[in-house]
Amino acid sequence: MGSVLASFFNGPNSAEEDSSSSSLLQTFHSAPRWQLHFDSVKETSKLMVIDFSASWCGPCKLMEPALSAMADKFSDVEFAKLDVDQLPDVAQEFGAQAMPTFVLLKKGKEVDRVVGAKKDELEKKIDKYRCC
Amino acid sequence: MAVSGFEGFEKRLELQFFGDDPLENMGLRLIDFESLEQVLHAVNCTVVSAVGNHFFDAYVLSESSLFVYPNKIIIKTCGTTQLLKSVRPLIHFADKLNLTLCECRYTRGSFIFPKSQPFPHTNFKEEVIYIEENLPNNLVYRKAAVMPSKNPSYSWHVFTAADQNHHRRRSLNSDVTFEVCMTELDRHLARRFFKKTGDCKTGDLAGKEMTELTGIDDINPSAFICDFAFDPCGYSMNGIDGDRYSTIHVTPEDGYSYASFECVGSVYDDDVDIVETLKKAVQVFKPATVSISTTSNSREVWTKVARAIEPLGLKCRTFAMDEFPAAGSVVFQTFTAATRRK
Repeated sequence: MGSVLASFFNGPNSAEEDSSSSSLLQTFHSAPRWQLHFDSVKETSKLMVIDFSASWCGPCKLMEPALSAMADKFSDVEFAKLDVDQLPDVAQEFGAQAMPTFVLLKKGKEVDRVVGAKKDELEKKIDKYRCC
Repeated sequence: MAVSGFEGFEKRLELQFFGDDPLENMGLRLIDFESLEQVLHAVNCTVVSAVGNHFFDAYVLSESSLFVYPNKIIIKTCGTTQLLKSVRPLIHFADKLNLTLCECRYTRGSFIFPKSQPFPHTNFKEEVIYIEENLPNNLVYRKAAVMPSKNPSYSWHVFTAADQNHHRRRSLNSDVTFEVCMTELDRHLARRFFKKTGDCKTGDLAGKEMTELTGIDDINPSAFICDFAFDPCGYSMNGIDGDRYSTIHVTPEDGYSYASFECVGSVYDDDVDIVETLKKAVQVFKPATVSISTTSNSREVWTKVARAIEPLGLKCRTFAMDEFPAAGSVVFQTFTAATRRK
């Protein structure tokens, strides 16, 4: 069981900086840039998934490969990564107290969220909300 | 009782460290994930789910749980894991962060299948020898004891070690740890921890369903829960609430059914809160036998345990109390159904 579970979470390494391995998993470090991006996606009917994480958070690192894979798989979904230390006001606005927290939004409104490195639950919810 | 089966009874290890560098306020949480995986590999388990907050990181493992605080690591594993093999590598990784071990605590109940345990878990004496070989010399206060119940094959084993400064830290420590072990679970309730046939829900999704169906999410409604369901049966969860953890592990198979509940509270908590939490946790399983070990610097907090458990139709059969370096008072109580179920 051990080796199956290890490969469950391991995947290609994803870069932490702005230039991530998948163009649809963007990392934001500044509040104004984030606001611009958020406002532009709000105008569309796309599902947006925000990953609230922290550089020191072990559980967040666990989830990174799975998240990159999901960004590649669900190309019609906007993925955004926010560091709670760099953007504390946004984190507070969304009530991200435990990490990682994934907030799913449509037209700027929250439709659901997943708290913790829960690959199955996140994938199921993304699939559920991405179309209609 | 089955001849052999999965061992639900866990081994629990708690290591406390101190460091001089005030900038390292993340402490042990700075141990990178790959290093943690190495430690777990030595123990023979892997991470299946995780969540963290500003106070600590909580990992659900293939065979139990791991909690990483800045100055403390708690690992609790079941089955035939070799938990004590984590001592040396953890001390090594902490040392790289300029953190020094100052307290060690190892506890466990009695194994249902003791002959299936690998070295050094073949018996308590071997375990103590093994831990001592891996502890640094600055831990000068050490004590090992087996706390009895009426049943000779049902005891609580405790080993603690501490450095010379543990007296100073004692007054600052208001934590109470409750380790609850339940056997002979109600069959109908235990069946909820089997995956439904034909259900293709995996891991954390199936776990979430079990959490909600069994009322585990009601034990502490303000906790974030990280849960996981195993194939074909079995369940684990970690709850995080501020700087407090709680954890539940279930082996539901008839013949060797087992469930554990562990949580940390404070000696200053309202009685009502402790009583209600323990009561709700035990009611999820309606076991025929419960043992609770209460560890704290208080000599009275254990009285709340009986108040929580006895109204559930369980009678306190045995009581044992002892004092250990750093850990403080450890009280071991066993309860069985007031009227035996057929």
